[in-house]
This record gives sequence, structure tokens and C-alpha cells, in this order.
Amino acid sequence: MSTAIGTRSSSARGLLTNGLTTVVILYVVLYVVYSRMEAGALTASAFGDLVNNSIPLAIAAAGATFVILLGGFDLSVAGVLSLVNVVLATHPMDGAGGALMSVVIAISIGAAVGLCNGIFVAYGGLQSIAVTLAMMILTRGLALVVLDAPGGSVSDWISDTLTNSLWGVVPASGLVALAVAALWAIFRRTNTGVALYAVGKDQTAAALSGINVKRTKCIAFVLAGALYGLAGFMLSAQTASGDPNAGSTLLLLVFASVALGGTAFTGGQGGLYGSMIGAATLMLLQKVLFSSGVQSFYIGLFQGFVMVVAVIFVNVITYVARRNREHA
Amino acid sequence: MDAASVIPTLNVTGLHKSYGPTVALGGVTFTILPGEVHALLGENGAGKSTLVKILSGVVTPDSGAAELVGSPYKPQSILDARAQGVATAFQELSLLPNLTVAENLGLPRLEKGPTRLISRRDNEDSAAATLARYGLQLHPRAPVSRLSLADRQRLEIVRAMSKEPKLLILDEPTAVLSSTDWLFAIIRAETARGTSVLYISHRLNEIRELCARGTVLRSGRSIATTDLCDTDDAAIFEMMVGSSLATFSRDRSNIDRATESRLKVTDLHAGTIKGASFEVPVGGIVGVAGLDGQGQGDLFHALFGLTAIESGTVQVDGKAVKVKSPSQALKAGIEVCLLPEERKTQGIFATLSVQKNVTLGALSKVTTFGVMRRARGLKLMGEVAREVDLADRYFNFQIGDLSGGNQQKALLARVLSTGARTLLLFDPTRGVDVGTKQAIYEAIQRYAAAGGAVLLYSSELSEIVQLCDQCLVVYDGRIVAQLEGEEIEERRIVAAATGHLDASKTRRAA
Repeated sequence: MSTAIGTRSSSARGLLTNGLTTVVILYVVLYVVYSRMEAGALTASAFGDLVNNSIPLAIAAAGATFVILLGGFDLSVAGVLSLVNVVLATHPMDGAGGALMSVVIAISIGAAVGLCNGIFVAYGGLQSIAVTLAMMILTRGLALVVLDAPGGSVSDWISDTLTNSLWGVVPASGLVALAVAALWAIFRRTNTGVALYAVGKDQTAAALSGINVKRTKCIAFVLAGALYGLAGFMLSAQTASGDPNAGSTLLLLVFASVALGGTAFTGGQGGLYGSMIGAATLMLLQKVLFSSGVQSFYIGLFQGFVMVVAVIFVNVITYVARRNREHA
Repeated sequence: MDAASVIPTLNVTGLHKSYGPTVALGGVTFTILPGEVHALLGENGAGKSTLVKILSGVVTPDSGAAELVGSPYKPQSILDARAQGVATAFQELSLLPNLTVAENLGLPRLEKGPTRLISRRDNEDSAAATLARYGLQLHPRAPVSRLSLADRQRLEIVRAMSKEPKLLILDEPTAVLSSTDWLFAIIRAETARGTSVLYISHRLNEIRELCARGTVLRSGRSIATTDLCDTDDAAIFEMMVGSSLATFSRDRSNIDRATESRLKVTDLHAGTIKGASFEVPVGGIVGVAGLDGQGQGDLFHALFGLTAIESGTVQVDGKAVKVKSPSQALKAGIEVCLLPEERKTQGIFATLSVQKNVTLGALSKVTTFGVMRRARGLKLMGEVAREVDLADRYFNFQIGDLSGGNQQKALLARVLSTGARTLLLFDPTRGVDVGTKQAIYEAIQRYAAAGGAVLLYSSELSEIVQLCDQCLVVYDGRIVAQLEGEEIEERRIVAAATGHLDASKTRRAA
């Protein structure tokens, strides 16, 4: 039976063993390295660029976190990113109103794909990897129908405003990321938010505790899809043009971000913040490697290396903490 | 209490439930009165857990009816059952280890604050109130993964009680509790308020202490509801196992003492085992007895390479061996086989056929250059199936569709098919019916007589008394007694297993 003191010391240990702390430390270390290499790294504009670059991946990884917390796997992210991107590039809508319309369309596309995934996985009892692979191929095919080669142009209002900084300091895309983070904080405080962790850990126990497992799964896929849609919108703002293969390059980075952020692929452990900072870390790493003059074909090598080191680091800390607990 | 004059809390008539070819319930009828603690008795596999699942809304019956306080009761889900007034503390614990005590208590709907979002403080306050009400000293914010097994069991019980049900179902609530005082006190407090309890336990003394009436299940049927004070243990056992209880005994003295022991363990430290030394002779059956969780699991796992051995030696036929993994245990000439205790999770491949499951343990015998030979597989299967009395019509069934007893026979067949000369059997008759037990006993005996050596753990003392030449009693990770021959009797084993007396004192007392 634990006392108040026991809980406090264990929460300190929890802070050490959770992936979020590790990835934050990693990010700060990398930023220090980056600031040593690049003279302008500490200026607002350099940071703004970094944030702008990271946002599409961060939001996509945030979406993927929902499904991975469930113990599932969602490949459809690549297809949704591409589809949203080509739709926005072929149907630009001007002005702030047009941008609002566009973001609604983007999120709707993602949520619709997520709903299909959710229905097949939760109510059809199919494997998430098979269903979402099919949805990825399907949506990528659809993207090619909409736009068969790179081209088109996203409305100026979107590509300008969302890559700019407000009052010259705060990157606008960063606010979108903060909004996503805030929504996650709210979601965590709903019954479904708690149920997501329960279902991811142990479906049987969750069902015996009265949780509607199927509904929880379906909602997770829909929310994931909606965030992919938003990520596609932000990606379009960055690239300002359409590319039917836009999402494919991000696919594996999405899972890398989630892993780096400390979310367990077995489900029930981790969180959205870790994934978002994990994404930012991967993009920062690219920057660091670029500015250190590493040739671009070595970048993958280094990224993989950093991931392995990060994963080993988390495991070692967890192992040490557990041993301390057992010998305490 | 006159059954005719009051409306019963629960009235069940003619419940049936089948899973494929397996009949789990074949007609269950009984009545629970208000404020009563009603015992549900039956062997493993008698259908108790299926009945619990039906009453809790997890499973719907094929036919039959239930009435809850006079109105029809057909729960569609756990929440539905709960809303109608039935809450269950499950045996396999339905707590989520990655959530806190408070969150687990609140599931699936947690307390909301003014913002309509979950209020952590409100939840923790109400959890603290619930915990205090039932005298459970847990911190609401502690994650369940940090709780001991006993505390989890208590939390599971408190969670069911806190729903204030009309009928509370407790499935093996004392399996991991060292003392029943706390549980019995709160059960009595609840029944005083008119709550009825369906109490499922193997421990007859607990049931006698708590319950006035009990219903006995056998092979999925309700045999009788009896007033427990008028029924002695022997009569209850007879109702549970049927009158066809065959007696089985063996000649204990067929061991060749002159030869080297097959398995010799010296001062073994592994997991919770602290310094175990014993020998298993050729042709011998050595029993291991002990209460749950005294280290017997680690002992078997260590010998099979699943738990790391910290110190001590294991010798097979006089040669020291190192067992670091199950494949080493099989390959390096040790030829030890473990019949795992968790059949469903550790033993069977539920979706493969019985034959594949059996021959999997001896792939080298049925393959040529790595390719399966059907004919050889069938021949081997036929041979071992005869050994364990497994009917050949089951060979092509998916093993998951078989009854527990036949699954266990198939697993024993797998272990035998490897040709191992030493068997480690961990509770081989758990959850199987009497007939299968008999077949398993005979298979074990034949195996020993043919020159094999067996180390057998059983949670049923009578089994050890009947089968074994020597009995090791484990308590708190140590072997506290080694009984031989006529010394092996239930009273002595129990005394040693509860750790109060060592073997010599027992002898004097007896």
C-alpha cells in the first residue's frame, strides 16, 4: 500500500522513465548543438522556420499517436496527407474565409478516411494494419486522380499567413500546434480519453470495466484521421503547391516520431506531446546535419542512429529505475 | 427464511450455453434469496465461470431464463447488468494496470467538474471516500501496476461493491488474499443491508463460515441446492465429482535406488526459490506441494530455463547441465519437458489442429530435411494419443474448440511425443474432469514405469498423495519438508505448507 511519500517519489521516477522527458532533453541538447553551428539559430526567424518545418510532421504524428495508444497501426496517414494536399492545390479558395473553408474540408477528408478505418477495425474486427494499408493505397490513388503530377497552387492567403510570424515573433503554425496540444489536454479529461488508454492496455479488462471497446476504437481512428487532415492542410501551407506523393516521404517519419516520443507500440502507454516533440526533434536533427555539412545521403543514417540511441537510453533508464524500485 | 414467501433476488431456470462442440452449461437452475450469501460449488470446468459471465452480461445464454427481483433479467452488456443491479468482481481481475486506483474505480464514467471535463480531484475524493468506506488503505492516485496482487483483488471487490448492487458476484475472491477477515466483514455488512451475494470458491471451510445455502454444479448442470449445515463435506464432494469417483493408488516402491538419479538439484537459487536441493530418481514421481505463490512456479521455470538460475547446480544423469532456455533444456540432452500452468496463454496454439499442436514438440521426428511428413506425423500422433487416451476423432479439430480436459490430454501427448526422459508437470489436472484426471494419472504412471522421471506440482493434495513416491513441500521459497512413502498424507503436507510446523514436529504431533 502506497503512502503519499511513496507516490511522490514514484512520480519523480515516472518523470525520468517517461519518454516525454527524454525527448525534451534530446531536443534541448540538439538545439544547443545547432546554435553552436549556426550563428542565427537563436533568432526568432530561425526558430520560426524550424517550427514551420516541423508542424506537418508533428500534427500527423499526433494523429498517429491515438491509434498507436490503442495498440493499432495506421498507415493511411500517407494517403490522407497527399489527398488533402492535392485537393487544396487544385481548389484554392482565397481570403481568410476560403482558408477556413479549406481547413474544414481538409479535416473532413481525414475524418472520413478515419471513420472508414474505424468501422472496419472496430466493428468489422479486421486488422488495423491491413485496413489502413488498403486505405492508404486507395487515398493515394484518389490523389493521383485529382492531380496526376506535381503542380497546382495553394491559395496565397494560406501559404503566406501560416508560414508567417505574428507580431514578428510567434510563428502562426506554432499556434496551430498549441491548439492541437490544448485539444489533447481536453480529450485526456473525457471518458473516451481514459478509455483509450484502458483499451490499449487490455481490451478484455476494459470491456469488463464497462468500457465500450468498439466505440473507443472507432473514435480514436476518426480523431487520428482528422489530425492527418489538419497536418495535410499545414503541409500544403508549407509547400504552397500540390504533389500526389506528398505524404509518402513523411509516412515512416511519423512512426519514428511516435517511437522517439516514448509511446509504446504495444498500446496504453505514452502520449501526444511526446510524439509532437519527437517530430520536432527529427526535423531539428535534419537541420543540424545540414548545417554541419553532412552530405544529404548520410542524413537517414544519422537519423536512424539517433533513434536507436534514444530508444536504448529510455530503456536503460527504465531498467535502472525498476531495479532501484525492487531493491528499495 | 421461507423461499415461497419472499421474492428471490435472483431466480435462474434452465440456462444453457455451448461453445462449438463444448457444452459449457447444460441446464442450470437455482434461486438466491435477499440478503443471502449463496455459495456456488463445483470442480474446475464445471461451468462456474460461464455462469458468472452470463449473469454479468458478458455472454448471452443459448436458452433459459433469469429473473432479478421478480422481473426478467437479460443483460446485454456489463453496463446493462450493472444498471439492473448486478455487479461482479472477476477472478481474472478487470483492473487496468496503467490507470490509477481512482480512475479504475470510476470507469467507465468518471466524475465531471463544472467544465464537464473529468475532475481529477473529484474523482480522487470520491475514490478516497469509497476506499475508506470499505476500509481499504490505498492511495487514490497510485497506479494499479504498483499494487500487490492482493490489493488488486481487494480493489476489484471494492469496485464491484461500490456500485451498490442488488446481487454481488464474487468469483474466487480469496484466491490471493492471505486473510479473509476483511472480506468477510464487508460481505456481512453488505448482506445486512439486503444485498445478496453469489460466492464462488474452492475453499469449503470459507463457504461453511459464510454461506447458509449452496448450489453445486457438475459438468455444466446444477446438481442440487443444499442447506450447507445439513450436508457434510463428503456429501458435497460426492455431488461435485459424482459417485463415479474411481480410487487410484499405486505401488510406491518401484524405484531403483542403486542407479544415479535422473535429475539432481543442489542448492538452487532462482527467482523466489532460495536454496532448493532434491533428487528425482529414474522411474520416480516426485510431488511438489505448496500454497499458491510459494515459489513452485519459479522452481519449475528455472528447471525449464524460463527463470534465470542465480546459483546452484542441476545435474541430469550425474552430469551438470546449464539450462538457460527451453530449447536448451530440450536439446542439450536434458530432455526436460514442462507442461505449462497457463494452458490458454502458454500452452496451446488455439487455431492449429490438435495434431499440429501435438507434433510441434517433436518436429525433428516428423520431418525430413525440415519438411513435414504427413504419414509420420499421423503415426506419432496415433502412438501418443493412445498413451493419453485421446480419441482420434479429435485429431483434426482446432485445439481451441476442445474441452479443457481434452486440451490437457493433447498437451500431455505433446510432451510425451518429444521422447523426453524427464517430465516437469505443473498442475496437469487443473480444470479437467474426473475421467480425464484418471487418464492423465495412468499416463504419468506408465511413463514413470517405463523409466521416466517426473516432477509434479499439484494444487490438489489428494493427487500428490495418490501418485507420488516422494513429496517436497515448499513454503516461502524453501523446501520445508521432504516426505516419503507412507509419510505422504494430506495432514502432514498441509501443516508443512502453511509454514507453522516443520516435518519433524508434524510427525510427533501425528
